[in-house]
Amino acid sequence: MKNFKKTRHFECPLSSFFESKSFERKRSNPINKSLLLIIGIISLTLFSCEKDIDIDLPDSERKLVVEGSIEPGLPPFIMLTKTEGYFNPVDINSLQNAFIHNAIIFVNNGTNNVQLTEICTSDLDTSLLPSVAQLIGVSLENVKNFGFCLYTTLDPLMFGEVGKTYSLSIQAEGKILTSTTTIPSPVVMDSYWYEDQPGYTDYGYLWFKLNDPQPLGTAYRIYTQRLGKDDRLLPANGSVFDDKFFNGISFEAFIFRGHEINSQHPQDIGGLRDYFEQGDTIIIKFCTIDQPHFQFLNTFEIASFNNGNPFTAPISIKSNIEGGLGIWGGYGVSYDTLIAVD
Amino acid sequence: MYDKIYDVKNSLLFLFFSLFILSVSAQQKYTVSGYVKDKTNGESSLGATVYIKEILKGTTTNSSGFYSITIEEGEYTLAISYIGFKTIEQKIILNKNIRLNYEIEPDVITTDELTVIGERKDGNVDETVMSTVELDIKKIKSLPAFFGEIDVLKTIQLLPGVQAAGEGNAGFYVRGGGLDQNLILLDGATVYNASHLAGFVSVFNSDAIKDVKLIKGGMPAEYGGRLSSVLDITMNDGNMKKYEAEGGIGIMSSRLTLQGPIKKDTASFIISYRRFYLGDILQPFISDSSNLKGTNYYFYDLNAKLNWIISEKDRLYLSGYMGEDVMTYVNNKDGFATNIPSGNAIVSLRWNHLFNDKLFSNTTLSYTRYKFELGLEQGQIEFKLFSGIYDWNAKMDFNYLPSILHSVKFGLDYTFHKFVPSNVSIKSDEVYFNTGDIIKNYANDAAFYLSDDWDINERLRVHVGLRYSLFQHVGPFKRYKNNQFGSPVDTVVYDNFETVKLYQGLEPRLTARYTLNNTSSVKASYTQNYQYLHLVNFASVSLPMDVWAPSTDEVKPQFARQYAAGYFKNFKDNKFETSVEVYYKTMDNQVEYKDGAVPQDNAGNNVDHQFTYGKGWSYGAEFFVKKRFGKVNGWIGYTLSWTNKQFEELNDGNVFPAKYDRRHDASVVLTYNPSKRWVIGAVWVYATGSALTLPEQRYTIQGQIVSDYGNRNSFRMDAYHRMDLSLTLKGKEEKKFKSDWVLSIYNVYNRMNPSFIYFATEGSVYDGTLEIQAKQVSFFGILPSISWNFKF
Repeated sequence: MKNFKKTRHFECPLSSFFESKSFERKRSNPINKSLLLIIGIISLTLFSCEKDIDIDLPDSERKLVVEGSIEPGLPPFIMLTKTEGYFNPVDINSLQNAFIHNAIIFVNNGTNNVQLTEICTSDLDTSLLPSVAQLIGVSLENVKNFGFCLYTTLDPLMFGEVGKTYSLSIQAEGKILTSTTTIPSPVVMDSYWYEDQPGYTDYGYLWFKLNDPQPLGTAYRIYTQRLGKDDRLLPANGSVFDDKFFNGISFEAFIFRGHEINSQHPQDIGGLRDYFEQGDTIIIKFCTIDQPHFQFLNTFEIASFNNGNPFTAPISIKSNIEGGLGIWGGYGVSYDTLIAVD
Repeated sequence: MYDKIYDVKNSLLFLFFSLFILSVSAQQKYTVSGYVKDKTNGESSLGATVYIKEILKGTTTNSSGFYSITIEEGEYTLAISYIGFKTIEQKIILNKNIRLNYEIEPDVITTDELTVIGERKDGNVDETVMSTVELDIKKIKSLPAFFGEIDVLKTIQLLPGVQAAGEGNAGFYVRGGGLDQNLILLDGATVYNASHLAGFVSVFNSDAIKDVKLIKGGMPAEYGGRLSSVLDITMNDGNMKKYEAEGGIGIMSSRLTLQGPIKKDTASFIISYRRFYLGDILQPFISDSSNLKGTNYYFYDLNAKLNWIISEKDRLYLSGYMGEDVMTYVNNKDGFATNIPSGNAIVSLRWNHLFNDKLFSNTTLSYTRYKFELGLEQGQIEFKLFSGIYDWNAKMDFNYLPSILHSVKFGLDYTFHKFVPSNVSIKSDEVYFNTGDIIKNYANDAAFYLSDDWDINERLRVHVGLRYSLFQHVGPFKRYKNNQFGSPVDTVVYDNFETVKLYQGLEPRLTARYTLNNTSSVKASYTQNYQYLHLVNFASVSLPMDVWAPSTDEVKPQFARQYAAGYFKNFKDNKFETSVEVYYKTMDNQVEYKDGAVPQDNAGNNVDHQFTYGKGWSYGAEFFVKKRFGKVNGWIGYTLSWTNKQFEELNDGNVFPAKYDRRHDASVVLTYNPSKRWVIGAVWVYATGSALTLPEQRYTIQGQIVSDYGNRNSFRMDAYHRMDLSLTLKGKEEKKFKSDWVLSIYNVYNRMNPSFIYFATEGSVYDGTLEIQAKQVSFFGILPSISWNFKF
């Protein structure tokens, strides 16, 4: 049975199907899963076996990877790293070496051009770390244990404003990377509510009603944080969607609760993994993003989901960075708080 | 029909036209014609040689066992021969048209003593067809079989130019063509999905099959609709003489075939059933408390055929095939159940009619259906996915034999297609999802053809053919016009039978044979083919849920040109057949999914918006040595080939190898008969490893490790090689009840051939514990099996 480490994929095809219906991400899940299932069962039945192999990959040139964001009222943040050989050993040093220092990074909002400066978490007061965890999208624990370096500015001229377009230019390691993004107008959700899932008391999905504005191509990302349970705002499981299927209409749907990567919390691994609990105080961050940003996040989420599945075609993550990989993305943000009671 | 063809200005047609004049102006000639049958069961013998010794010319019987030879008045010796049967020779006086039917008897001496007639050059050297192989089902049955399942698709994979799709897989690639480029016909009806068990077993039950013909190049004009090959499978007609039961019991499945006369020498039936029951056998081993209780898998095949000789001139065949795979997966813990049925159903009615001694016709009406369903159930929620193909087909084929120098074929072929793409429905008490419109595709698919096999002189013989095909995509249909983000901005709706798009094209087919001497010849061919259907594979293996997509206003038909040349030489009175063939093939409008495409995303979208288009080309050389008879017989095949593709939107527009690009592909197939009752079979195969895309670098986004892929298909898995052995003990020939024991060992030296590679990722990147390990999964190690077959 060892050959399918990913057998956890088999366990809950229907739930992830719902995910795929509420957000068009991963529409193929039931198919891929059944496919894994068929092949899995057949190969198990027919005594398949596996072995570790060594693969010699060509030593191709490392690429620069940008993870950058800008939100209204906040400065731009850029994390600049480089790729590693797929099988290269990982230790703290190699990871630290992935960070690119002394890069020359400028952000331009049309009127001002500001150079970002590099700060590392090791130089920061620990009280600031939760915000950093939030910004770079990793767990607080990781931020505490592992030093991150990023580029930002304290110049209020470059704090995000709704409707503006931001150009990024990076000079590092002899390469030039460029990108642009916008902060779209936020769309405020009509309403949120919680409902017990049939068959459960006290557990259920977070529901919402969205009035999608007319321009086609509006895209969204949603995060939640259960006060006292989550350290940060976590992207929902399947956090991005665009209005391809509901442009200009009003509709109701629900989301799956997100988790920290590899979370071993009992509520994150069992049958309750997608649900909120009665009584949870949930902070909801609902963002609008532009299409290239959506394309990036969407392919990123599919790729993370398919990671290791040998039966799907390789998914290339669609970057908006000229000359490198990753994302430079603006968020139009609105916040809400819901106490989960049905 | 002719009007349409003549509209098309093509010099080939003038050539045809002149042929007809030629035949009309010929001098006083008479025809000898008739049927050749197997004396033991009354089955018509197709491909038997009928030969006039005096002029060293002859013909072969067609698919109904009919032959016709028209030559000048005179006295001749007619010889009828068929491998494994006694040769019949008869003096005839041809001064009027005569009808001579023959019944041939099996030659019980299976050793070297096979008679070879006169100076007759052997078929493979003499015929104009090239790149074509016919398989003898009896021979196949003594070869080692995967799990004891004798499989014609697995056997054709052992021929040069044909590559297996994967470990234990019944899918095949011919000369660099995709899986969808093979036209698989069962009694004239198209089979869309020829495999069970996700590809491990083909749908063809060998007991129900009479003849298998594979055409991998120089495709004659009567075939079309696919770029790369034709696999024409004929079902047994049923014994006209006596009742017979035949069957086998194996580890995975069992078979039973019943046949016999309804009226002796006039009408017969055959019915054949095969059931896979490995899943059923395992049932008792799943305990009642098991989480998986209720999980099962089975498939069955049911073939049936009726065959009625109405008169000397008319014969009717009604054949049917039905097969289904049913997989049930239950996980009681999660209250989760999946049911996945899929299968083919085929009915065909064929009418042979002899207008006169020289004109033979075959009219076929057929219906084909392939469907795939997926049902998921969890609690009160039901999810269903369905896709299907429905074909209604009518075709008429004529064979006109004006003189011994010509065999003219012409005909028409019409199919109405209905394609139901994957569509989803969900039911739940609480939640209902509107899953959008199901956009079915409807199409008219027609073709007309005309060809002539013409002996121009003693040395040169040509097959000239022209096929005109058209494909009309008709309404109802809804086309979404999408913006650059793939979101619909407009829709165009087509009414019933309104033309969405019409494609048409000419497909010239030319093959020439030039005889060097009695035992050797050179051949060359040029063919053009259009293909209006596309199977777009999402995963790296062929699966029952792969969607067949027809040509639409946006998906252009595939188009191929193939050039082939070969040298054929026989040694030692035809004991050895050898050939070398080279080919070059170009394929346009090839279809693949776009990078990052997610299949089944067809709400507010057309499936074909996810496709991207490019071209492919393949070239190679095939070497073949066959020992046709003797105590040891079999063949060695070797293919050296290259297959490349280029798509603007894939791999940065750079050329990449197809995943089935195999530099070397070799097979050795041997059977040895130490005595009348024992047969030893051995197969060895070797193939260059499959090409695949692997991540070359990794990086981290939001704490997740993601991959940066290298060039498409730039990596190779390890080479594939394997040896199989079989040992057959036959029952005594004299006994009425015959039974055979077949012991088969698959993968004798337990080679761990790669089926796929995946990456196991453990730990976290941020605490330095990340470990990525490549794992190679092999499906089958050494696999012995035993089966018992009987016949009475």
